[in-house]
Amino acid sequence: MKPAYRSVFRELLRRELGERYRGSFLGLLWHLLLPLSQLLVLSWVFSTLLQARTQFENLSYAAFLALGLWPWSLFSNAVSNSVAALTGNAALIGKVSLPHHLLVDAKVTASVLLDLAGFAVVLLVLLLFGTPLQFSGLPVVLLSLLVLYIFAVGFANIVAVLNVFMRDVGAAISQLLSLLFFLTPVIYDSSQLSQHLQNILHLNPFAAPINSIRNAFLGLPIDWLRLGIAALMAIFVAYLGYALLRRSRRHLEDYL
Amino acid sequence: MSDQTPLPLVEVSHLCKRYPVLANSADRLSALWDMLLGRTPTRHTTVLDDINFKVMPGCSIGIVGENGAGKSTLLKLITGVLTPSSGDVKTRGAIGALLELGAGFHPEYSGRENVRLSAALYGIGDAELKDKMMEIEEFADIGHYIDEPTKHYSSGMIVRLGFAIIAAVRPPLLITDEVLGVGDESFQKKCSRWIDDYVSSGGTLLLVSHSMYHVQKLCREAIWLHHGKIEMQGEVFAVTQHYLAWHESKQGKEPQQPPTLHSEFEYGIESVASNGSDSSDDLVCRSGEDFTIEVIMTSKDDSVPVLMCGWARADETPVYGISSEMDKVLPEKIARGRYRYLLTFTNLSLLPGKYYMKVHSMDTTGLRLFQSVYRTIIVTGQSRAYGLMLMPHQWG
Repeated sequence: MKPAYRSVFRELLRRELGERYRGSFLGLLWHLLLPLSQLLVLSWVFSTLLQARTQFENLSYAAFLALGLWPWSLFSNAVSNSVAALTGNAALIGKVSLPHHLLVDAKVTASVLLDLAGFAVVLLVLLLFGTPLQFSGLPVVLLSLLVLYIFAVGFANIVAVLNVFMRDVGAAISQLLSLLFFLTPVIYDSSQLSQHLQNILHLNPFAAPINSIRNAFLGLPIDWLRLGIAALMAIFVAYLGYALLRRSRRHLEDYL
Repeated sequence: MSDQTPLPLVEVSHLCKRYPVLANSADRLSALWDMLLGRTPTRHTTVLDDINFKVMPGCSIGIVGENGAGKSTLLKLITGVLTPSSGDVKTRGAIGALLELGAGFHPEYSGRENVRLSAALYGIGDAELKDKMMEIEEFADIGHYIDEPTKHYSSGMIVRLGFAIIAAVRPPLLITDEVLGVGDESFQKKCSRWIDDYVSSGGTLLLVSHSMYHVQKLCREAIWLHHGKIEMQGEVFAVTQHYLAWHESKQGKEPQQPPTLHSEFEYGIESVASNGSDSSDDLVCRSGEDFTIEVIMTSKDDSVPVLMCGWARADETPVYGISSEMDKVLPEKIARGRYRYLLTFTNLSLLPGKYYMKVHSMDTTGLRLFQSVYRTIIVTGQSRAYGLMLMPHQWG
């Protein structure tokens, strides 16, 4: 039996996208309102309450934060949303034969697409408020986002499979992700740290893509070596995720 | 269909399925470990054991068996929903499966959305689906419900929609598991007609059902699964009759063979033979044919013994009993103290199934019973009628 994989994937993706707003009143409008209100709160807390400043003349801290926070959320939301990609579809997996990775891929892709839309809205607002964004850096931004996406797919497969066997993975993952958040240069600028600390920080593979996105938008030099290493690691993690899923293919439905 | 020998649509060889035992969280952890190492789980229960069969194109096979025999698991393995623990399932071509109620339907999505995913899983792309959608809606005949979430459907509507997809796809192999019974009368008729037409136009059917009527009507072959193994496989009537007979004898107790020590009886039974054969195996006869038993009896004082002979169904329901004394018949004397009775039941009107023949020796007056011998009789035949025996009838 050869299912029309592309149609299946598209249908699953449509479901994931639709599911977010099924029965909600504002629907997709939420994706305009949520990032904006988030940006508003963040800029008020950090710029007014905490008096946070960046090293750049004409860049508000809120703008600096936004450029790192949305890419990070794109990754972390995708992973945490995918924890239940297999367990939540137990009814489908137990009744029809379909490649399991499609379920995870659809979950990740839906989450990433929605967050990309949010990021676009935020960028638009930053531009309107006069933030000097360099759009010549856009290819680097897209490349870095792609690295984050591949990371997300890999980790999503791994946590989704583990969650089948141990249902506490969901809780553990959200803890781990928030820990990782502070170890990634999102709320602070890694270039202001000592060289020693920077080296340690760059053991974290998410540091390079996040820094690259921010630097590309600000017209700063890109650390291609570290971005390349991160890309290789992302591909490795994605391979690991698919390998795990393939290995578990034989027995997954027995544990759901 | 080409003339050359077609390849089987399904080839099942040495198929085993074991489910892991997941009693506590330690079991889950060790199961994960086993999976990572690629080992079979240490604690498991075996559901299917060494199953072998082939499904040729154009075949119709019924699968029967009691609850928990592994029928549904077998179908799921064939459709690829489950993976075998060992052994192999090879399939060719698309398989239409109507396994459980609302197979793969998501309750939150509308019928139309669910159809779209199901169709994609059957390999139907978007362009083709546009043409088929009308056909599906028409066959399902559930009106505006097609755009409502399937959680609002009745079980009958879900089956309607599920069947409508199958009917539109018309896969070379159809697998169904006792779901058609949910639809209402007119839809069942529609489905039966469709399946009839499908089978007669070369479609291949694998049907699980507890209704022997359906199995006998739609299938030419049958497989009887018992505790995860194939108990019997072959022509549909033979298999279903054995299966039903087994059910009957399960309800009744197997009659205890009384002790047979010839010398101790004043009137004893030396042998019981049927249609000329005298083995201790089950006797076999065909419904509608003559059935003759030959009983050699002994008598210590050379007085004439009386033969009592009775039929009982496998569940011990008495069917018919007669004695030589009732019919005032005398045996043929073959030696001193040895007598021979010949008894023929003409045009045996018992329906196919498993029966017992109980032969008793009695004294000359037919009052005291001495020895009893029970023999199993398998009545074979093609009848699909219900009950115990054929009643002569005419229509119109």
